Amino acid sequence: MSLEKMLATYEFEQWLYKEAKLLDDIDFDGWFNLLHPEISYQMPVRVNKEGVERPDYSLDMYAFNEDIELMKIRVDRLKTDYAWAEIPPSRTRRSVHNVRLLEYTPNEKAVVNSYLTIYRSRSTDIHHDLISGERQDEFTFVDGEWKLSKRVFIVDQTTLNTRNLAIFV
Amino acid sequence: MIKTNVNLEDLSQQEAIEYLKESVQPEIGAIPASVLGDPTFYDLEHKKVFLKTWLFIGHESEILNKNDFITRDVAGYSVIISRGADGEIRGFYNMCTHRGMKLCRADSGNKAMFTCPYHGFNFKNNGDCVGVPLQKDIYGEDLDKSQLGLYKIRIESYRGLLFGTWNDQAEPLVDFLGDFKWYVDILAGRAEMEVIGPPQRYVIHSNWKIGADNFVGDSYHTMVTHGSIAKLGMVPSATYSKKGYQIYTNHGHGLNLGTPNPDFAFPEELKEEYRSNLTKEQYKILSNLKNMIGNIFPNLSFLISHTKVKGQLISNTSVRLWKPISVNKMEVITWFLVEKNASDDWKRRSRESFILTFSPSGIFEQDDTEVFTDITSAASGTMPLVKQLTYNYTMGLHRKPVEDFVGPGVVFDDKFSEASQRNFYRYWLDLITR
Repeated sequence: MSLEKMLATYEFEQWLYKEAKLLDDIDFDGWFNLLHPEISYQMPVRVNKEGVERPDYSLDMYAFNEDIELMKIRVDRLKTDYAWAEIPPSRTRRSVHNVRLLEYTPNEKAVVNSYLTIYRSRSTDIHHDLISGERQDEFTFVDGEWKLSKRVFIVDQTTLNTRNLAIFV
Repeated sequence: MIKTNVNLEDLSQQEAIEYLKESVQPEIGAIPASVLGDPTFYDLEHKKVFLKTWLFIGHESEILNKNDFITRDVAGYSVIISRGADGEIRGFYNMCTHRGMKLCRADSGNKAMFTCPYHGFNFKNNGDCVGVPLQKDIYGEDLDKSQLGLYKIRIESYRGLLFGTWNDQAEPLVDFLGDFKWYVDILAGRAEMEVIGPPQRYVIHSNWKIGADNFVGDSYHTMVTHGSIAKLGMVPSATYSKKGYQIYTNHGHGLNLGTPNPDFAFPEELKEEYRSNLTKEQYKILSNLKNMIGNIFPNLSFLISHTKVKGQLISNTSVRLWKPISVNKMEVITWFLVEKNASDDWKRRSRESFILTFSPSGIFEQDDTEVFTDITSAASGTMPLVKQLTYNYTMGLHRKPVEDFVGPGVVFDDKFSEASQRNFYRYWLDLITR
């Protein structure tokens, strides 16, 4: 790996850590600012297939299939007094690992895959939820900053063991 | 008189039934909290309700082609639903008849033959056992394969909605749906409908009946639980959901029908198709429909929702199963349905509004699940039974049904009533005590 790629990998690791921190701290406006106006944010439904048939996720049904306008609705909603699903907010801990830089054009575009584990605790409930999966991210360089322009989150469960996705992945 | 000092652990099944007979009182709007939290009642429910009635499996469009199959659960038992080479839809218990191994582990696919992973017994998708490895050598001439066919489950469908039951004595599906068919026509028979993609699945720590109760007649909660939607301008006001009718029929089915709507909630270009599939009266209801929320007993809820997304009105149609896992846990399985002949743009926008509102990430959905979880938690354990905590289901008891509505069933003007919930529990109790 070239020094340039090592530095870039480090840069995206830090980007993803910062994103995790913003979401865990419930700073939705801060997080929204990381998104590119042309973002495609997807979480396809994972399915059980026979054998090693791929892809083992749906190409036409999603838990998220959002553009920037829809993301804005979701973020705005969480700030109303009626977003009961997150009143009080879940305590979440996002761990990002196995960050791999797949494509990289300095000051232009990058493709980064990573693994994500979200621990979610709500209220006094002693059950916790674990959501894990792979993020396939694309970044676009705008005005000196990397913005998230595409995310596909491949979740590891076909039946999600969490009460809802009032949180972001 | 309701017995005091009840300790269900000491109750026989018959005594538990007697207790429910006395304490579940829909006629005066009293339902005990323990029906949501007590494992004894849950076990009774499994035997007396889920092993007796028709249960939703899926939509015919999910197995459109010859040899398409899906695997689903009926009352907790895995079944393979397959469209044979002859085009007929059949259902089988997903269990090899030799040693009981699960035959098929995929959610869906296309196969004419299923091979057991244990000893390799082969079954055609009409259920026949057609192959046993080394048969002659190890069984001689004595093995009669015709006795080894897969165990069949009764399957019937109405307007593309497939149901199955383990009860060979169950009345035909059309009789079970009865008068409710009139409304199912509007939901699933107004046009050729198709399911897009696989169903979405997630688990909530909630008793399944809370979901059914919520959809069968509870529009009252939308003002508060879904208050955020009005704040975002997706519906005109928080009391938007009040206007319309509450309707119930025999067998515990019920719905809330939101009307009128100044806008046509469906693709304009399909008006001809709607007219040809519906009666004049049904079409009139469709033309004025702003939403339709209901439940086919016991646990198939459905929804037509019309909201404004990105400044444009759009409707979406979905059905969902509240599949019990245990007394305080259920899997929610949600299918998105759309008119097959709608434009690609309509389909895309309708799916978009479904994902935004009623998928696991849906901004309507997620607030409900929070409520369901906390109700279940409060109803669990021995205290609610010992203290005989009782929910109030009296809303609308003072009101008389309207006589001049075009559709069948018992109809109330205005959706804010608990008549449909009382009807749900009346039939539930009827089955439990049968």
